Amino acid sequence: MQIDIPFIFTALTEIFKALPLTMIITLVPLMIGFLIGIGITLIRIRKVKGIYRLANFYVSFLRGTPALMHIMLIYLGLPLLIDKMAETFHWSIQSTSIPILLFVLMALSLTAGAYMSEIIRAGILAVDQGQLEAAESIGMTGFQAMRRIVFPQAIAISLPNLCNIFIGFLHTSSIAFIVSQKELTGAANIVASNNLKFLEAYIAAALIYWGLTIISEKVTALLEKRVTVYNRGGVA
Amino acid sequence: MDITLIVDFFPKLISYLHITLLILVAAVAIGLVIGVVIALIRIYKVPGFNQLALIYISFMRGTPILIQLFLIYFGLPTLLALVHIDVSRANPLLFVAITYGLSCGASFAEIIRGAVNGVEKGQTEAAYSIGMNEKQMMVRIILPQALVMAFPNFANSVIGSLKDTSLAFTIGVMDMVGRGNTLIASSLHALEVYITLSIIYYGVVICLEKGFSLSEKKLQRFEGSLAVDTK
Repeated sequence: MQIDIPFIFTALTEIFKALPLTMIITLVPLMIGFLIGIGITLIRIRKVKGIYRLANFYVSFLRGTPALMHIMLIYLGLPLLIDKMAETFHWSIQSTSIPILLFVLMALSLTAGAYMSEIIRAGILAVDQGQLEAAESIGMTGFQAMRRIVFPQAIAISLPNLCNIFIGFLHTSSIAFIVSQKELTGAANIVASNNLKFLEAYIAAALIYWGLTIISEKVTALLEKRVTVYNRGGVA
Repeated sequence: MDITLIVDFFPKLISYLHITLLILVAAVAIGLVIGVVIALIRIYKVPGFNQLALIYISFMRGTPILIQLFLIYFGLPTLLALVHIDVSRANPLLFVAITYGLSCGASFAEIIRGAVNGVEKGQTEAAYSIGMNEKQMMVRIILPQALVMAFPNFANSVIGSLKDTSLAFTIGVMDMVGRGNTLIASSLHALEVYITLSIIYYGVVICLEKGFSLSEKKLQRFEGSLAVDTK
């Protein structure tokens, strides 16, 4: 078997068409996960009674099992639950009419939530206690202090971690091909088996992922310069 | 859903845990060797090799493990065919171990390099001032301290690799997930199989975390105390 280099370029253009779906599977879970993460972090930092243990278990369980398991559990389990509910409450929805993509997005959102909560927690705890005291001393409420003072700084501190989790989820999105999603890896798989040129197709997919990763690293480096402006010290 | 099936599947699946752990151990062993070599190349900025190491790390960091797995699985036989070695009948476990080893190697290299750079410069100067040569300084002074610093990241990386091994079944390895898939084919109870698998993975990760945090405490028993007791 020889490597067909021109075919790599053909495959590249073919696989590239699947980029939007990969971006959806990467970004939607990260955004929903961010909201879940904030909720979980507040529960864990304030030690809200009752649900505090549940939040801890949620984070520990989702960080302790592979993302493949989350996708499969939701993809296989949720339809059973939905059908059961539809049967008892006489709803007119059927699990088979729900696109698989929705289950993938749900599962990865839960995964993202667990990882996000750890990042946000580390960010919030890294903000100097004095900042909160200063905010309260000028009469801000707890919510104002959190939203205007602590949170922006926490996000700035977390930026490198947020970039890492973006890259991590860009790569995790490749697992969606196992439940037959036609994102980058799924598309590569189709191109590979249609032309019986496996290596070339996967080289093309690897180049796309690699390029995306390098771009997001560069963008983060630029963003980091901007958001840490307040922290540069000295006289402006 | 049938809870009793989970109890039934548990022993069947856990009997394949050793394959999963074998992949992990092989990957970590290969990864450590590659990691140390690459880290040294990066630290001493060996001309030529340094650029290669940078590309290697960037590629491993920049592509999903699933794609790397496919690249090795389809690419390595092609590459070896050029030197007339036939691996087309080799056990897929071999390809998995190589892929995860290469992947671990890249992350270990960065962890080790970061830790070595994190050792205070005064340590090097002190080692030289008492007449150690470069190798003694590295082996006796820098590396022991760097390893302690690197340990938490190393532990995280190993746990990450364990979770990554769940994808090995895609190239036909009979690990826990692979066995799970044959169970699904014969019993048609996919959800129960995946619940059981999740429980096993969670258990293994918790054990690893406990083990690592114990060893971390042991490793760091000299940290934070003063060299000279001033009492």
